Amino acid sequence: MTVTDLSAKAAPAPSARRFRLSWQIALLGVLALLVMMSLARVVTGANDITSGGTVGAAIGLAVPIGLAALGGLWSERSGVVNIGLEGMMIMGTWCGAWGGLTFGSPWAGVIAGAVGGALGGLLHAIATVTFGVDHIISGVAITLLGQGVTQYLSKLVFVGMKGGGETQSPRIPPIESVSVPGIGAPLRDLAGTHMFLLSDLAGVLYGITQNVSLFTIVAILLVPLSFYLLWRTAFGLRLRSCGESPVAAESLGVNVYLYKYVAVVISGALAGLGGAFLSIVAAGIYREGQTGGRGFIGLAAMIFGNWRPGGLAGGALLFGYTDALQLRQGGTSVHALLLVVALLLAAFCVYQLVRQRRTRAALITGIFAILVFAVFTTTDTVPEQFTSFTPHLTTLLVLSLASQRLRMPAADGLPYRKGQAT
Amino acid sequence: MLRNHAGKLAATTAVSAMLMAVAACGGDSGSGGTDTASQGATAASSAPAAADAAKVGLAYDIGGRGDQSFNDAAAAGLEKAKAELKLGETKELEAGAGETGAQKEERLRLLAQSGYNPVIAVGFAYSEAIKKVAAEFPEVKFAIIDDAAQGPNISNLVFAENEGSFLVGAAAALKTKKDHIGFVGGVQVPLIKKFEAGYVRGAQSVKPDIKVDVKYLTQPPDFAGFNDPAKGKTAAQGMYDAGADIVYQAAGGSGGGVFEAAKDAKAWAIGVDSDQALTADASVRSVILTSMLKKVDVAVFDFLKSYVDGTVKAGPTTYDLKAGGVDFSTTGGQVDDIKNKLDEYKQKIIDGEIKVPSE
Repeated sequence: MTVTDLSAKAAPAPSARRFRLSWQIALLGVLALLVMMSLARVVTGANDITSGGTVGAAIGLAVPIGLAALGGLWSERSGVVNIGLEGMMIMGTWCGAWGGLTFGSPWAGVIAGAVGGALGGLLHAIATVTFGVDHIISGVAITLLGQGVTQYLSKLVFVGMKGGGETQSPRIPPIESVSVPGIGAPLRDLAGTHMFLLSDLAGVLYGITQNVSLFTIVAILLVPLSFYLLWRTAFGLRLRSCGESPVAAESLGVNVYLYKYVAVVISGALAGLGGAFLSIVAAGIYREGQTGGRGFIGLAAMIFGNWRPGGLAGGALLFGYTDALQLRQGGTSVHALLLVVALLLAAFCVYQLVRQRRTRAALITGIFAILVFAVFTTTDTVPEQFTSFTPHLTTLLVLSLASQRLRMPAADGLPYRKGQAT
Repeated sequence: MLRNHAGKLAATTAVSAMLMAVAACGGDSGSGGTDTASQGATAASSAPAAADAAKVGLAYDIGGRGDQSFNDAAAAGLEKAKAELKLGETKELEAGAGETGAQKEERLRLLAQSGYNPVIAVGFAYSEAIKKVAAEFPEVKFAIIDDAAQGPNISNLVFAENEGSFLVGAAAALKTKKDHIGFVGGVQVPLIKKFEAGYVRGAQSVKPDIKVDVKYLTQPPDFAGFNDPAKGKTAAQGMYDAGADIVYQAAGGSGGGVFEAAKDAKAWAIGVDSDQALTADASVRSVILTSMLKKVDVAVFDFLKSYVDGTVKAGPTTYDLKAGGVDFSTTGGQVDDIKNKLDEYKQKIIDGEIKVPSE
């Protein structure tokens, strides 16, 4: 078996699928979704579901999750399961705040956050690659360690600072936000008219072009950069080959240990960046426990995205968007979302019936569509107790609808020792 | 087979998340107790009149000292008691985020066993723990803040948060220019609902048609809502974008995010528990219209004083407007123009003319 064979196997075999997701189809899908949401907005009057504020908040909530997911991608593509993302993220929140406060510049905090996360990654690499510790056990240990170490360090560092305490840091200097000049006010006015489709487009554009933190732009750029490095360079091919078949990679002269080390350290740095974003941009302070499991949600987003950069970005955005909806306007927005879900289910039902000729599956989807629509029409708002689960429920729904062809790297999580093939 | 593999990974992720939460607690309580064990378990001196022997044990809620709010207020009460009453040694233990009930029990037991008497538990999270431990140590006096746990040796220091919130609700309604205000609660528990109930009633009694947006960041048993400023900021931004111009926060550590959002939106926010125009970060103090004061320090001091005097009574002591346990703050002078009206409402509540609902 040669490395080129491997690469063919590693790519998600497009020929096996009915259709390949091209950018035209993706754009058409997004447009169709926007039409549905616009429809739901006009019918229900829940103007917040496509407002610029919601889109901006969605991006802000998606970035930490997306960065953690990207970290997971790097690690798992090299064959190391990284359940310690949460711990590395916690290190990132603390180090980000510490760096920003100590050096007086938020960008120093960004770098410190990445370094803090990378240290966690290095520890994970030492444990799993050099000593062959079970990946899950090492990951859980690192999460615990992250919590403990940051608690200890806070007592040491933040207690002495004005406005700081054992559980939180003083205000961190903020990172600049940028806007595309000249279009802010017209877009806002257009969105304010609540016209069909036009206002929704304006709202979305406003959200992605106005008041965007520079850190957000860096984070977004890391997605295509990761794709390029992992799928378009020899380095990336070798790294992925370690996750598919380390023995084969070794036989071709790849230093598997080194590649795994590099991948896991980068993974930690990315998770650390996610943490730094949380403390520097999203909150403005470090607060104990502020990650709230986002590292694990990032891991889920990565699985959701089928171990691909584009897919995990979509997963993070979906989670961030639904979270923004429920946090901003709670019941009203989530109620409008029900209509979107009903429409989507109906469309999917038709697709199953016409294109796939799966009558039974279509029947089930159809029943669900009617059920959701019935709930939508009989209620005015969704109770608070349910709205907080919206992001999780939506993710589950999409996962169960999307054809379940998840394919993880073949040697992901398996122990590997140098020379084990001989 | 591959599919199976992926499914397994997902399951492991979930299980590990739970494991982490459980195990995390083990780490936390260790870091909380510093040197208590070494002091040895001296026999509890149960003579309440012996003031010199009053060794006070205090167990904090999540957040601990330095939260610039609830726990710090309890610490301030203890400091004041230390200065004015002759207390023996005192011991303060911190709680960790996401710990179990068993660890809270262990913390209280440790204090009682080491001869600390009285023992004060800060926060409703200790409700179940204190019931058990108080029964084990009948000779030790316990006090719990914000909870009605019953026992022959448990004093409940509870507050009429709804009355204080009524006043800031009225202040918000008097100050709003859009007749639209908001409330951000940390976690939807009965205690925080009390804040909401008073706030909404206070606002409505000034302007019956006022619109009040209400959002809780998380649902129990997920208590992350008290520690997630990013979510607090997003929720408050949503309210300001929707047209609200004043938002009241009862969200603990997430409250800082609400102030940030208020600053960005050039709108008002209302603080909680302590006078946050003094305690919050300097960059956001100017957006704080007023704060609902909950004088935990007064309650802690009063309890310790009654212990020293030998007049501790079990059961609830309510710190309401009448007792001066709750109030609104005037720091910054933003409510000076409506202070007379607020004082009128205050008097009516004290006189019993206005009954404030608690849920």
